[in-house]
Amino acid sequence: MRKLDTIAPGTDAAAEGVVDTGIPRNWLTTRLDYVVNWARRNSLWPMPFGTACCAIEMMAAAASKYDIGRFGMERMSFSPRQADLMIVAGRVTYKLAPVLRRIWDQMPQPKWCVSMGACASSGGMFDNYTIVQGIDTVVPVDVYVPGCPPRPEGLIYGLLMIQEKIKGESLSNPSPRDEAQGAVGLPNLPPETIELVSQPFGNSTNQNRVSGLAPTSALKRPRDRRERRLEHDD
Amino acid sequence: MESSVTETAPHLVEGAPDPGGDVTEHPGVSALRERFGDAVHRVGCDALGYPVVWVDSARSVEVLEFLRRDPDQAYDLLADVMGAQSGAETPIQVWYQLWSMRHGRQLRVSCEVPLDDLEIGTVTHVWKTANWLEREVWDMFGVTFRGHPDLRRILMPENYEEGFPLRKDFPLRGRFSRSEQVRRSLTRGLEDVYAIEELELAGVPNSSRVAPGGADGTAPVTAADIGELDTTEGRRPPLRDIEPDESLGDLLENSVEGEPMLINMGPQHPATHGVLRLVLQLDGERIMRCIPHIGYLHTGFEKTCEFREWNQVVPYTDRMDYLAPMLYNIGYAGAVERLLGVEITERCRVLRVILGELNRLLGHLLWLGTTAIDIGAFSVFLYTFQERERIYNLHEAYTGGRITTSVTRVGGMMADLPAGWVDAAREFVRTFPATIDEVERLLSRNAIWQGRTMNIGVMSGEEAIDWGLTGPNLRASGVAYDVRKARPYLGYDEYDFDVPVGVHGDVYDRYLVRIEEMRQSVRILEQALERFPDGPINIDDYRVVLPPKSEAMGSIDTMISHFKLVMEGIRVPAGETWYSIESSKGELGFGIISDGGTKPVRCRFRGPSFINIAALPVMVEDELVADVIAINASLDVVLGEIDR
Repeated sequence: MRKLDTIAPGTDAAAEGVVDTGIPRNWLTTRLDYVVNWARRNSLWPMPFGTACCAIEMMAAAASKYDIGRFGMERMSFSPRQADLMIVAGRVTYKLAPVLRRIWDQMPQPKWCVSMGACASSGGMFDNYTIVQGIDTVVPVDVYVPGCPPRPEGLIYGLLMIQEKIKGESLSNPSPRDEAQGAVGLPNLPPETIELVSQPFGNSTNQNRVSGLAPTSALKRPRDRRERRLEHDD
Repeated sequence: MESSVTETAPHLVEGAPDPGGDVTEHPGVSALRERFGDAVHRVGCDALGYPVVWVDSARSVEVLEFLRRDPDQAYDLLADVMGAQSGAETPIQVWYQLWSMRHGRQLRVSCEVPLDDLEIGTVTHVWKTANWLEREVWDMFGVTFRGHPDLRRILMPENYEEGFPLRKDFPLRGRFSRSEQVRRSLTRGLEDVYAIEELELAGVPNSSRVAPGGADGTAPVTAADIGELDTTEGRRPPLRDIEPDESLGDLLENSVEGEPMLINMGPQHPATHGVLRLVLQLDGERIMRCIPHIGYLHTGFEKTCEFREWNQVVPYTDRMDYLAPMLYNIGYAGAVERLLGVEITERCRVLRVILGELNRLLGHLLWLGTTAIDIGAFSVFLYTFQERERIYNLHEAYTGGRITTSVTRVGGMMADLPAGWVDAAREFVRTFPATIDEVERLLSRNAIWQGRTMNIGVMSGEEAIDWGLTGPNLRASGVAYDVRKARPYLGYDEYDFDVPVGVHGDVYDRYLVRIEEMRQSVRILEQALERFPDGPINIDDYRVVLPPKSEAMGSIDTMISHFKLVMEGIRVPAGETWYSIESSKGELGFGIISDGGTKPVRCRFRGPSFINIAALPVMVEDELVADVIAINASLDVVLGEIDR
């Protein structure tokens, strides 16, 4: 989505999905890419944005049994200014969303984001008034790790995927990491897309029924049945 | 049972039968009848058998003050204040759950507040713990507590405009569309993030603050209504004396030593154990004042549970306290079983004790590891996580999940234990105490550890009760209150164990109490594993527990029960209960109301962390900034439970 915003439609670059920076891809830049990517992917400094259950599994991943230090990631960076990988572990509420966005904006480029667990990725089992239905509505996400919560192995696998992703990046093509200047502090997706991915009132089909906004067809509670009977009597 | 004015105050749930039981002889009830006469509308009985008194909301403060101050009553622990509503048009109920340490008695006072006049007196001057509990009722139901010193949103953002979430007319997914919710959340200004008094302290002019509650038109709380927090009572004087009539603003001007500083700690901070935000006013390194902000992890559990069937609530319970998940599972199932009036099997009861104590260890181990990191000892974290991994393996062998276990069902467990599990648990219990000794050798006599923890965050026993502290935090202050001993459940009275208490009520004592509790848990585990009986794990009632597939295929009756349970779920008889267990963090209460349907009308979780963290401002006052970390860590809070 972000990429589409930054590329003028109709150009060749847009067709290829690549912004032409004028630097030709040659032996020198590819070798440089290799060295830079090697350095970047093997010393990721994660910014642990841990909120709930997933944060405990993230701690387990950092502890002795799983030890993400093996991948050069044990240096947890609690300051976003010195981090390049944000791990969002746990549910994010609408009250917390501006904090999340602000921390993402404070991180310098290049930066990556892992959405750990069902709640961060999609709201999970909390389809209600307070939980953000997927953090990708607030910040761009590179890797989603499923699970409730994911096991430490799952998180490590997600981090290895980030490493794979970094391997394929090139200095001559900065567009994957581009963020528009004016996008700071704004939702990551336009409103229509947010409605599309989460539906105007959540992604559950029985929102209206359970909320009492619409009459129900399947009545379960005795009181409902009583009321229904009264309506019929009328 | 005699009842005086039954017709004027209906039962919360229409047509609910009284669970019976003679409560008229209860000394609290007779005294209230005698003294307050007509103000006592009705007397009933909780599903657990203790009395419930419905009183006139106009006189509730008098009644509650009497119950606290009268030496024959002495209800000194206000365990819970909760709101409840049974339908969009019905009045809101406010429950006060009381416990008397001296007499060992339980009582509930229940008031009805009509929707057109949502006002009731505050009891913050009677129990300090009422402060946050009443704020929560205001936040969730919009009940105004007359005379409350600081009535503003607590879990929702300060300027939340969609209404009061737990009211029955509030839709589960909020009033605004998703994109509007995201937009509003990302464009919040200063006033949504800071309390008015903080903005005043920081010198931001008071601007157009909308009425809290917005659409519902409740009068805005102005700065003038907010009094000084009374936090100095019974403590040594602060660094600089603050005269009661002198506002903090004047203090800023008159200060010759420089300006106090206002700093924000959190919500994203490595040492707040989650997304807690503390606004600290500092005089150099000393804390003048601390204002906690919570709700950054408010997940809407209580609302969501009203839309789930009784057994579907279980997976929600373990996501509240993800440090000791099974304790929540066990407590919730126990509460619903009280409403159903079923007795679980002996094997199930002992298994729940085993799992509960394993999870107490799990919670205390995480507390120990993270607290040690906060205070500067990293290696303890690695030691404790090794033991946690062993408990996780036991979890996984039984339930398939490491943290989110969802192990209980109403009337039993999700399954019986796999072969070899008990032996694995015995092996763990045999080898585990070595780690406690090892950690104790690292910490207990460590000069740095002692220097950072001794005489820090001191709280006396009376003060702790007044603030409603429970669990190890209360016991460290010398009060031997443990729900397992006070109101034994799951047959805890049959086990031989001690309740460790501290003497000084400081951070070091809280550490010692938890260490000793782990040893006591090991003792309970040894006894429980020793006596672990054979027999069925679930009760023999197919209206409650799912029949085995083999049986369901063989008999038509069983098949019908199976079908009904899968399609509809359990029906729990109409009634209400407030049931509590001892979790790793304190008294974990479940206020549950059923109208006879397949879903709860109200599912209230009294998280001990919520009450414990409310006392943080008193503990950190006049301490150093670094001590805030140690004190906050020593309270052992889990944000999932605070914010729910």
